[in-house]
Amino acid sequence: MQVLSGLSVGMFLFLVSVGMSLIFGVTRIVNLAHGSFYMVGAYLMVTLVELLPDRPWSFWVALLVAPLGVALLGGVIEVGLLRLIYRRDPLMQLILTFGLILVIGTLVLIVWGPDNKSVSRPDVLAGSVPVFGQPFPSYYVLVLALAPAVAVALWLIFYRTRWGMLIRAATVDREMLGALGVDVSALYTQVFVFGSWLAGLGGALAAPTVAVAIGMDGDVLTTAFVVVVIGGLGSFAGSFVSALLVGLLQSFGILVFPAISIVLLFALMAVVLIVRPWGLFGRAEE
Amino acid sequence: MQTVTHLALVVVLLLAATAGPAAAQGKPIKIGEINSYSGLATVYTFPYKEGILMATKEINDAGGVLGRPLEFIFRDDKLKPDEAVKAARELTGQEKVDFLAGCISSGVGLALSAYAKEAKTLYFATHCQTSRLTWDDGHKYVAHTTNNVNQYIRALARKASTLPYKKWAHISPDYEYGHNVWEEFIAYLKQLKPDVQVVQQHWPKLGEGDHSSYVTALLQSGAEAFISALWGAQEIAFVKQARPFGLFEKIKFVSASVGNPDELDPLGKEAPIGAMTPGFAWYDDGMQKRHPKLAEWVKKYEARTKKEPTLGASWGYASTYIIAEAIKRAKSADTDKVIGALSEGFEMEFPWGKVVMRGCDQQAIPPQWVGTVKMNAQGKPVLADVEEHHGRELVRSCDEVAKLRAAAADKKK
Repeated sequence: MQVLSGLSVGMFLFLVSVGMSLIFGVTRIVNLAHGSFYMVGAYLMVTLVELLPDRPWSFWVALLVAPLGVALLGGVIEVGLLRLIYRRDPLMQLILTFGLILVIGTLVLIVWGPDNKSVSRPDVLAGSVPVFGQPFPSYYVLVLALAPAVAVALWLIFYRTRWGMLIRAATVDREMLGALGVDVSALYTQVFVFGSWLAGLGGALAAPTVAVAIGMDGDVLTTAFVVVVIGGLGSFAGSFVSALLVGLLQSFGILVFPAISIVLLFALMAVVLIVRPWGLFGRAEE
Repeated sequence: MQTVTHLALVVVLLLAATAGPAAAQGKPIKIGEINSYSGLATVYTFPYKEGILMATKEINDAGGVLGRPLEFIFRDDKLKPDEAVKAARELTGQEKVDFLAGCISSGVGLALSAYAKEAKTLYFATHCQTSRLTWDDGHKYVAHTTNNVNQYIRALARKASTLPYKKWAHISPDYEYGHNVWEEFIAYLKQLKPDVQVVQQHWPKLGEGDHSSYVTALLQSGAEAFISALWGAQEIAFVKQARPFGLFEKIKFVSASVGNPDELDPLGKEAPIGAMTPGFAWYDDGMQKRHPKLAEWVKKYEARTKKEPTLGASWGYASTYIIAEAIKRAKSADTDKVIGALSEGFEMEFPWGKVVMRGCDQQAIPPQWVGTVKMNAQGKPVLADVEEHHGRELVRSCDEVAKLRAAAADKKK
């Protein structure tokens, strides 16, 4: 039971952190606004579920459309703002994405108001299924299935398509890729949109299990950042392994050492940073 | 005494209804109000501010206080003690306010209280709830116009002591408020029921998003009942995650805050039926029967804001009247005279019952309510079977407070 709950925690973390890692890998931008994209995904989910008629399919339509909305937002931000600062000091980029946290947070407050919002699970997944004789929430079964599916799809995209090859190439040597005639700027936009979509998907999928509220962006950002650092910035396999590791560590930490379970996460990060500063699956910078 | 204030309030309300000519004329009495008006606390502070504005309008339409209108100047503290103190300096320095008020975060409240002591300005703590404000760290420049953790957690613990359970666990956010709730709860429960044992303790960080691992750990703990000091969005997340695990069927759920509408409404059909919790159930038949003026107050609030009232709204409303009453009794807006009036203590009638402003610690003692979460006929979760006790029966006595203050002073040396 503790393993399963740890794994489902890990799966949520994976969906959020892999997008962040991907964006960093290609554009070298640490997107601090990634948690805000996650929050917008959850809020869009709330609005869509409210707007759509109360039918069994509306939850799934919302789950499909909400991340697309976030992807659109990501696209606008990349083209309108980030494109202007790729060549600037990394500090400038941090300040810009940090500013986005505040701007998006305030916009969400204006658009959706301060009240806590909530999305109900679809009726099919509202209950629980017995696992080892104990009830386990069926919604988490969906999450446990969906996140690995996303991971497999990502792997296929990265290693079996031309676009994936370009992305991998961009993480290794951007200048060379540009010199070979690839439109790097378009590639950046695509990757940023894709990463935003993943954050939106994480938010939309998490919406029924949490309160959709102002402030959910910051909480998720911290943990996602830890996951990305442990796994190695820019490494997709790293995000997957480290998300599961963090999920399980938290889960067993809570069972075995409830008093210090929060520290364990950061202790792991510290150990990884000391032993392998570039993360478990990252590449050392030359 | 009580009937006089009672009558005074009725007169004020009557005058408010026929407002206009009586409106206050003189130089305004300014109150600098510092609270979190952006970000995640706004779900509480927006209704609270409406309560203040509603009471201020009633008071001013009825001629103000000592012929002078009340004027609140609002500042955002962004939930940060340093921002709050910065705002307090600006309000006392440039705006020349007569009094300070506000706080939702206990950290902000303690910081403002320390500032008030140093600046010799009277500060009314209105929305934060730590008992340290007027007890351990109390002084004459701070008054607390709403209840503190001690009062409502003791009300909850007393009700919990009637349950047949001995093995207890808890889940509380790891900061000032969470520790305050848990310590008050278990101390009073053990006092009333000495054979209680604690089998498991959980301290997730404030704002933790995923609690499923805590839920599975609680399921294995062997506890018969547990209390949660989580609140707001975090508790909603906890309840939504715990329900499908069947936690609430297996272990009795006692919560410090799930009965409030800001948690029950978003939970909707996923609300934890049967949970024992305090709350301001203005819609409850028993409440409305005991307090005949409550329905009218609710109607007025709804007409004004187009929203249902919350506990926070009642706090903003009551705090404003308590500040006005203290000034009236002092016959002056002079800080020392108002402190004099507060230190004598007084009682006021509100639409939801009597509030005692105790003189020895300048601490408000309102009625306390504990009930059980149920679905109403419309399928909306509500607090039902509400039991009411006055905080006077529960709260630490003036002697105990004096001991707490002495112990705190010793610690500082």
